[in-house]
Amino acid sequence: MATPVTTMDKPVVAKSGPASDARPPRAPRPPRPNYRQIHQFPLPVNVHHVPPVIPHNPLSLISVALSYLTFLISPPRQEVYSAYFDKATSSIHVTEERSINALWQMGFFGKGSLSRSEPSWLAREKKRRGLHNGKTSEEITRLRRTERRELKLERARMEKLAIEERLKAEAAAREAGVSEPLDQAAQSTPTDDTTNVTAATTEKFSLKKAKEARMLEAKQARELAAQNAAFAEQSQPETSSNGKSVRFSPVVQKKEFLSSSPSSLQLPDSVVDNLDSDDFPNEEHLQLSNEEAFFLAYSLGALQIYDSPSKSGEVQSTSPISTAALLQQFCHHSFQPARDASASLQPDDPFMISYTVYHHFRSLGWVIRSGVKFGTDYLLYNRGPVFSHAEFAVIIIPSYTHPYWSETEERKNYTAEKQARSWWWMHCVSRVQAQVLKSLVVCYVDVPPPAASLDDIGGLFGQYKVREFLIKRWIPNRTRD
Amino acid sequence: MADADEDVIHAPANASTQPEVDLSDETQDFRFLNHLNFFADSSPGIPRRGEKDFEPNPTELQADVLAASRGAMHNALSYPRLHGAKTRVIAFYAPEGYVPPAQPDRAKPKAGEDGESSESTPKPARPLPNSARISPDACVYVPSPKGQFFKTMGQADSSSRVWLLPEEALYLIERGSLDIRWPSPSASAEGPGEEDLSVPMSLQAAYACFVGRGGLTLERYSVYTGLKRLGYALVRAPGWCDDIEPQDANVSDASEVAPTKLHGPGLAGILGSLFNWIHDPLSTASTATGPIIGTGIHRHYMDVYRKLAIIPWYDPVTAPERHPFDTTPPFRVVFHIYKPSTPFKKSAPPTPDFRIAVVSTRDQTTMPTMTQLGALLESTPLDPPRGEKMERMMYMRLRHGYRNVVMAVVDQGVVSYLRIADSAFGKEKLYENKGGPQGPKRSRANQKPRKR
Repeated sequence: MATPVTTMDKPVVAKSGPASDARPPRAPRPPRPNYRQIHQFPLPVNVHHVPPVIPHNPLSLISVALSYLTFLISPPRQEVYSAYFDKATSSIHVTEERSINALWQMGFFGKGSLSRSEPSWLAREKKRRGLHNGKTSEEITRLRRTERRELKLERARMEKLAIEERLKAEAAAREAGVSEPLDQAAQSTPTDDTTNVTAATTEKFSLKKAKEARMLEAKQARELAAQNAAFAEQSQPETSSNGKSVRFSPVVQKKEFLSSSPSSLQLPDSVVDNLDSDDFPNEEHLQLSNEEAFFLAYSLGALQIYDSPSKSGEVQSTSPISTAALLQQFCHHSFQPARDASASLQPDDPFMISYTVYHHFRSLGWVIRSGVKFGTDYLLYNRGPVFSHAEFAVIIIPSYTHPYWSETEERKNYTAEKQARSWWWMHCVSRVQAQVLKSLVVCYVDVPPPAASLDDIGGLFGQYKVREFLIKRWIPNRTRD
Repeated sequence: MADADEDVIHAPANASTQPEVDLSDETQDFRFLNHLNFFADSSPGIPRRGEKDFEPNPTELQADVLAASRGAMHNALSYPRLHGAKTRVIAFYAPEGYVPPAQPDRAKPKAGEDGESSESTPKPARPLPNSARISPDACVYVPSPKGQFFKTMGQADSSSRVWLLPEEALYLIERGSLDIRWPSPSASAEGPGEEDLSVPMSLQAAYACFVGRGGLTLERYSVYTGLKRLGYALVRAPGWCDDIEPQDANVSDASEVAPTKLHGPGLAGILGSLFNWIHDPLSTASTATGPIIGTGIHRHYMDVYRKLAIIPWYDPVTAPERHPFDTTPPFRVVFHIYKPSTPFKKSAPPTPDFRIAVVSTRDQTTMPTMTQLGALLESTPLDPPRGEKMERMMYMRLRHGYRNVVMAVVDQGVVSYLRIADSAFGKEKLYENKGGPQGPKRSRANQKPRKR
């Protein structure tokens, strides 16, 4: 029967007090790194504050003059990082350790090619080889997921068990006599008061209950052990004998054991570990999206992009790609497959539109990163992903309001096709965003007519116009007041 | 969130604090209807919902629960629905639309056949001064209105008959609160014994007569009746009629990036200009080839961000307000909505709580373009974020927006409501407010684990 277990374990849990004594004690969390210090600069640009001038204090004037003088004599250099364009992945790779750290720490640009976001492969690898303590975010996630999967398996098992018991009970009742099933049927007729039946029978095993049951099991095991040690009496408390109706299969316990010591799983690797333990190269590089790279190169001047990777230890022989050529290249690569280099640039190339949005939100101070994990174009973080969750998810829709786009029938059809988004798609996106607690921003980008020349990039982007709409499901039941 | 069940782990014990569960998404469990007593005057309270079985299993218990639920549904449906004699409200269908009441003083010369005069000369609604308030679409009148429904519905004419619009009449007849009669062929408009002679209108006939009349589509009716049942008051908005074309289509773009405020030059300013002369990042700045911010020395990130602002954005505050008729038909406000708590007066409706546009996904298969959506929002009045809470919390300001409208997207009878707000991100310079509270602090206890 399902009901005794669920109704019974609650008081027991309440008695047992804190939940931690039943669960395997979790290792104390390593202290959080000081993100405020690590990520104190919002952009990879050096900023030199001037000491404040205090009118009453003539000395402050001197300090100001002094700081100006030092700037005059030895002007500080703006750090310029280098990267190369990888045609195969149509993205920018940064391989130099210093650049990777700088670009991630100042403005959260790019992602590690072997990591979820922050390039942490090296740390994880060292940890795996037992060189390094502390957990990376990927490992924490993995642990949490294993735990959940187990709980779900357990829940499914318990449900199955309950159903089996129920079937047994029903079969027994059928054998016992004809009168009893009739009674049961009468009990559940709609005319009766069905509250009790409803409450009891529809109670299912939630994950919470699975957890509680696990705690109960552990507690009972301990109780039992204590009792056996203390006195060899035969009498067992009724609670434990009742609660035993749900047992944990050894399979799950074994799995739990395995997951708590993940290093023991990787047998072949331990052989490799013995070969070299502390010196191995970092196989990971930082991947910048084309928008990020263009922002760094064109807007901040903090990145130089080359055509091919530099050989280790030698200076780049070729000169970096110019901004205009970079724009061309990115526009061509915004199509799949990439367009031919001879193709002319259109004002509604995907890159032009997505960069407009990227630049717009960056210039307002948002940390804007790809929203592909939630099915949107971008996610907007306040200060950065390590500080807070993204609050807004952005999707981009082009818009063609300029009269040029409605001049001919052909253009009209073209723009209508480009602007079209189905309602189902919209509902899908908005439902996903509601589930992950993001506000959906639909960002329309007004596309100008084709420009005569591409010389003035700033002027080009200045013709686009951005308008944001916030779209949220409205639930009339909740706004009634 | 891979599975909604995972939330249970982190959710607090009391499920009532969880706002994410949308009860309207769940299937009705009809067994709860058994506990609702239709006659009792004491309210039983809201029944608690149980947990669902997600797949069939061979137990008899599940079959019993299912049978009980089904029985309860049949029980509820078989309950006889009657017109109570006390609450019965009789109405008459006027296929010609509004007919002014037969004036006794004008009828005097033709004494005895006043009924015939009103029947033979059905005057259109417009010429009479007292009929100005009656919509020309009204087609059902109630000679003796009583009951709570007429607080928010219908328009009274000079002889205290209440004229109902098609959707109002249809809602009331569907609800069983109104008994609509066909116009009697005997042509006696308001005879005393007429109620007994006239033929009642069936629900099917009501649908046939009223849907499609005066711009009432099935989609609009679904929205009307759905919100009405929730207790909202709805009135038609000026944009109800589709056939009014946009008068002038010229779009004026009158929004630019707000100029940044400049402080007067102090001592530091003079020194600063000297400094700028020495190392001016602007002199190396070029928007043509970049870098926009220049390669010199930057003194503050604020300046860097200000220089980066090259993309124009739409400012909803400076944008001109548009007439409702500038919008393109499906994207036009058709209903004004009032919350149940808003004091509503039929004669002088207050500012609506929501404005709603109704879109049928079969006629309009794609989302609106920016022009259509922009025009829809600009036809609503400016509603900037106000209040102390909004001042403090940037996220709330952005979510509230400067204008807002509700769009009801009706897909073959399934209504999805979307609230659309004009949120100007450009007006919130995130780089200026570092560190302050940005949004409502959610207590960690009743918050779902989120993904970054």
